[in-house]
Amino acid sequence: MKKISIRQCGVIIVMCIFANKILLMPSLMYQQTSADSIFVLLTLFLLDFAMLPIFIKLKENYPNKKLYDILRDKLGKVVTKIIYFAMLCFFFFKCLLVFSVTYVYFKQQIYQDEFIFLALIAFLPVINHATISGIRAFSRTIELFFGVVIAGFVVCLAISLFTPISTPYFFVSSAKDFFLSLYNHVFAFGDFIILFLIMDRIEIKKGQTKKLFFFALFAIILVVSLFYLFYAKYQITAFMHNNALADLLVFSVQFNAIGRLDIIAMLTIMFITLFQMEIFSYAFCDCFVNIFPLLNKNYSVVIFDILFCILYYVFIGRYETMVTSALYWLPYLAIAINYILPIILLVILIIRRQKIEKKDKNFI
Amino acid sequence: MSYFNVKDKIEEIKSTLNSSVDFSSRLYKKDNQILGFIFLKSIIDQTLFSSAVYFPLQMYNSKITIEGLKNDILKCVDIKEIKEKDIIKEILDGKLIIVTNFSKKILSIDLLKFPTRIPSEPPTSPVIQGPREGFVEDLQTNITLLRRRIKTKELVMEVLRVGSQTQTKVCITYIKGIANKKIVKEVKEKIKNIKIDGILDSYNILTYLENRPGSLFKQIGNTEKPDIVTSKMLEGKVAIIVDNSPIVLTVPFIFIEDLQNSNDYYTNHHYSSFVRVIRLLGLLIALISPGFYLALQLYHYNILPLNFLITIADTTQGLPFTPFLEILFIFLLFQILYEVSLRLPSYLGLATSVVGALILGDTGVKAGLISPPGVIIVALSKIALYTIPEQAPQITVLQLIFIILGGSLGLIGLISGLVYIINYLNNFDSFKTPYLAPYSPRIPQDLKDATFMEPVYSMRQRPKAFSPEKKERL
Repeated sequence: MKKISIRQCGVIIVMCIFANKILLMPSLMYQQTSADSIFVLLTLFLLDFAMLPIFIKLKENYPNKKLYDILRDKLGKVVTKIIYFAMLCFFFFKCLLVFSVTYVYFKQQIYQDEFIFLALIAFLPVINHATISGIRAFSRTIELFFGVVIAGFVVCLAISLFTPISTPYFFVSSAKDFFLSLYNHVFAFGDFIILFLIMDRIEIKKGQTKKLFFFALFAIILVVSLFYLFYAKYQITAFMHNNALADLLVFSVQFNAIGRLDIIAMLTIMFITLFQMEIFSYAFCDCFVNIFPLLNKNYSVVIFDILFCILYYVFIGRYETMVTSALYWLPYLAIAINYILPIILLVILIIRRQKIEKKDKNFI
Repeated sequence: MSYFNVKDKIEEIKSTLNSSVDFSSRLYKKDNQILGFIFLKSIIDQTLFSSAVYFPLQMYNSKITIEGLKNDILKCVDIKEIKEKDIIKEILDGKLIIVTNFSKKILSIDLLKFPTRIPSEPPTSPVIQGPREGFVEDLQTNITLLRRRIKTKELVMEVLRVGSQTQTKVCITYIKGIANKKIVKEVKEKIKNIKIDGILDSYNILTYLENRPGSLFKQIGNTEKPDIVTSKMLEGKVAIIVDNSPIVLTVPFIFIEDLQNSNDYYTNHHYSSFVRVIRLLGLLIALISPGFYLALQLYHYNILPLNFLITIADTTQGLPFTPFLEILFIFLLFQILYEVSLRLPSYLGLATSVVGALILGDTGVKAGLISPPGVIIVALSKIALYTIPEQAPQITVLQLIFIILGGSLGLIGLISGLVYIINYLNNFDSFKTPYLAPYSPRIPQDLKDATFMEPVYSMRQRPKAFSPEKKERL
């Protein structure tokens, strides 16, 4: 099997961490918890980050085994298929949300009109091709553009420093708002779940696991910096700015002579969106192939496209409805996938460890 | 005892060769011994035949034997015994065949000679500094050029015959212990499996070596310079020299090779790095500038600086074509002019330039058919294309695709197209070597000779991408 390197795995994680957090989410969070959103973000990241050691332990114990096989051996075929179906839905809606949010941004900022046909024609073939090519091909592509994407992101953050910013007031939200915000925004997290899904395709050499931590930490720092600078720049008006990364570049007086700098954010967002959609589409198709082993990847791609188009049209022109409905029912799915699945895997690991220890004792 | 009726044998061979006009034979009689010389006079050195074969034979006074011919009389020439079934093949290879009436053994002497070019600077890769020698059409000369540079017993040169009619010699050459055995084996197998009637040039076998024969992208390296082939072989690659072709193929091939130029290694590495960045920038400009200009003009005019927008609006006002058709028209015009200038005799080249630049370009703008920004953008992309001339054919096709993408889908079309192409390139390997290495997958060690070049002394290891057997350069 064609495996990916730890670096390629790292860049995939970075893209997943950026997913659904760099455009709309800062303003949504601000509505609920003001500047304390930083703490909501940190808490959710902390919960996510805890999945990484579980993944590494699982990989150590089952170096070449698929997640599907591990779950099937321990939980049975039916339960595994249900879990995989939940994951399929999770990744599909993540992909749809990424596209929807970016589409609205592009529509407002650079196309200034509906361009859904163009967007679907431009995006879907690329995503389908990446999915069929396999994880090695598209992870290499992400690796190639990684420097450009990160440079774009950092430039956006750096330019925002040249405008007047002030330290936001923290601890202004109630505990109830804090927990409600945690619950509402959990759908945008669970970024490490992809690692479990592709665990058999990752080649981790001895001593390389820290690289994975480094990539994850790096991406988290960038997102937290974005949130901080965004609130520091817009303060109480932050909820009115739906495109956080791009809006950081607006009103940068010192750089106005150069021209419209938000093109840096536009290009960065375009690349990030495409890569995220490639990753989530691949995850969807991988789940699909495991649920329906008789159908090959090409079928899953067709199903993905049909579902994507249909569901997108359900949301067309109802941007608010889309966000509200996502906030309403996506958290249930996200909690199941983000936290319950890793806990199940942790239990599997503990049981396995106990069995080994017992075996060793008997042997002695 | 008579083994051959020499006259009959000569007639038989003549008949097999359809009494070809350049068929020639001589009989040499001494006492009761008869020697028959059979050859094609068009491809052998007849002076050498007289001086090194016929004359020594006349001077020889003893009884002639096959051993005597081999070890005494004709010891100055390349002589060997052959089987009867190989006679025709040897004659066609420019050998002189000797049949006698006193032995069943047949001798073959290499007297091959045909008009060849003197190694000169190849027009496709001129250098400012560094060796100017280039390969020629003669396989032997090309082998000599390589031998002169690689003086090691590990240099392997294996010749295979390809083409049922042309029987073209294809020489697979590599350095044993450096080139990856699996790659060598794969090359040999692919060449052995070629089923074709004739090979006229190395490009004829190119498609048989490619992993994806239908692809637009170049998958096999080619050069006309022996110093480049030598350096590639030292990196662990396999070279394929085809008789009658000055182009030597090298495998595996990765994209970065076209970014590198032999001049880079003969100048300061800082300057070489700068030039490589310019080439990469040129490639990007060539690829997307017309499409990007179209996308900005059609969909994203709001992100253009106001002064630039006014200039474009002023110059495109009243044009009969839509921006998309205008760029397409200029693009095709440039391509037609390019094709014409390639095929016209040089004395007509100036006339083409005048017609192209002045009449079509200048008058087209004045007549209000095309706009100056459109001409500038397409001209820029066409000039930038030749920063990496080896990639020009595929980039030209991609330019057209990007014009269509930019014109129909805008900026997202361009970005999607770019990502699609990179995905595609990442999905195919050239002889198990990732096409976009050392960028993706990232191979830090190989980056020393990528865009930012390090001094040659720091490149102590061979590129990891080619999986050489011996990793250290020492």
